[in-house]
Amino acid sequence: MRKCKKYERDLVAFLCGELQGNERERFASHIDKCVRCKKELQNIKEIIASAGSLKPDIEKAMASVNWEVLPSKITETVFKKAPPSPRKGWLERFLGFLFLPKLRPVYAGILLGVLIGSLATFMIFRFPFSKERSEGEFFVSQDFLERIELEMARRETLDYLDKSQYLLLDFVQSSPEKGREFWKSEFAFQKARNLLSKKKYINPQLKKFQMAKAKEICDQIEFLFYELTQINDQLSEEDLRRIQRLIEENQLLLKIKLLKKELQESEV
Amino acid sequence: MVQERVTRDEGIYILIEKIKEGDREAFMTVTSLYQKKVFLLAFSFFHNREDAMDVVQETFLRLYQKVNMFQKGKSFQNWLLQIAKNICIDYYRKNYQKKREFETGKSIEEMNLPLQNKENPLDSVDLKTIFSRCLKKITEKQRMIFVMKHYNQLKYREISQILNISLGTVKSLHFKAVQNLRAVMAPYLGRQE
Repeated sequence: MRKCKKYERDLVAFLCGELQGNERERFASHIDKCVRCKKELQNIKEIIASAGSLKPDIEKAMASVNWEVLPSKITETVFKKAPPSPRKGWLERFLGFLFLPKLRPVYAGILLGVLIGSLATFMIFRFPFSKERSEGEFFVSQDFLERIELEMARRETLDYLDKSQYLLLDFVQSSPEKGREFWKSEFAFQKARNLLSKKKYINPQLKKFQMAKAKEICDQIEFLFYELTQINDQLSEEDLRRIQRLIEENQLLLKIKLLKKELQESEV
Repeated sequence: MVQERVTRDEGIYILIEKIKEGDREAFMTVTSLYQKKVFLLAFSFFHNREDAMDVVQETFLRLYQKVNMFQKGKSFQNWLLQIAKNICIDYYRKNYQKKREFETGKSIEEMNLPLQNKENPLDSVDLKTIFSRCLKKITEKQRMIFVMKHYNQLKYREISQILNISLGTVKSLHFKAVQNLRAVMAPYLGRQE
């Protein structure tokens, strides 16, 4: 039955001589074997034969026309009615081609593609896919990073102030002679140099708004250490005493103590 | 055969070029060469001499107006029959649509056809009239293909070029035309579909 369905559409083409070669042979061999299709072919043949019933009318109508005179009559009417349309330029022909009805599916396809693409882009930007994190990676907010930096600055400053306090305390409590010896010793000199280097290191951290007060005191300490590292034999006892007095008058040690306390309390 | 066709085509192309320049003689020659083919198509479609004559006149007028659009290398006959087909369809829609709307609701019996003789159906009725009216009951496209195939004796390939459809579609539409005709004519052929 399925096979018959396959041949069904060829019935008319076969009768009209439109099947050629192998196609015709295959169809003919099927018809020989299939009674149903043979009957169907007979029925269709009858319909096609009845089309012949109109032929006498057609012949009669054809005979009724004067074919000799008709061309001149048509020519007369046509040349009176309308001149031929001018030849189209390449632009007009190109535009004509662009708007051919058979190209409509192509335009519809392009339009559909653009619409789907736009929709997909919109959806992607609207609901971005969650990016999978690779192992070992972590993400923190900007605010958190700033808090970490501030905490680091606080700790570094505290360490700086601690070390400076001990060194200055040693210096202030010693007599002028011992003070000179103290600063000439490798230990104190090295310590002071280290603290100067550390100050340079924490300078950018002290620039933060929250560390303004600490910066002021650290700058004073830095200046003092710079002076003390310059101490040499020519420095008189009077000069040393003057420096000690300066520290005491400025209450530098007290300020350091207070600042340390403040920094310890404001732990992040 | 091929040589003969090439020569004939070349002759037509020359005539077309002359028509483009406004040559009356060339136009008359082309008209006399193709008038019968156009008339045959139109008459088979309408089954009315006057309508067919109108279509012939209109087709050659359109040919003269659009002659610059004809592309050399293509079949002139197919191009002309394409114009004729379009005019037939337009003419039919303009003048026959209402009549058809009125008639499609009716059975063949209601269309003032004589009653059939049950013993020998086709003896008592005019097959020509039945067939002509049944032909009008199928769709325009199916009818055009049927007419082109059976009265104009065109090949499927030529019909596909004229109607600008594929060969498979022509085959399928022709089959449908015959099937529909068969269904409409069944009572007059003395069988139940």
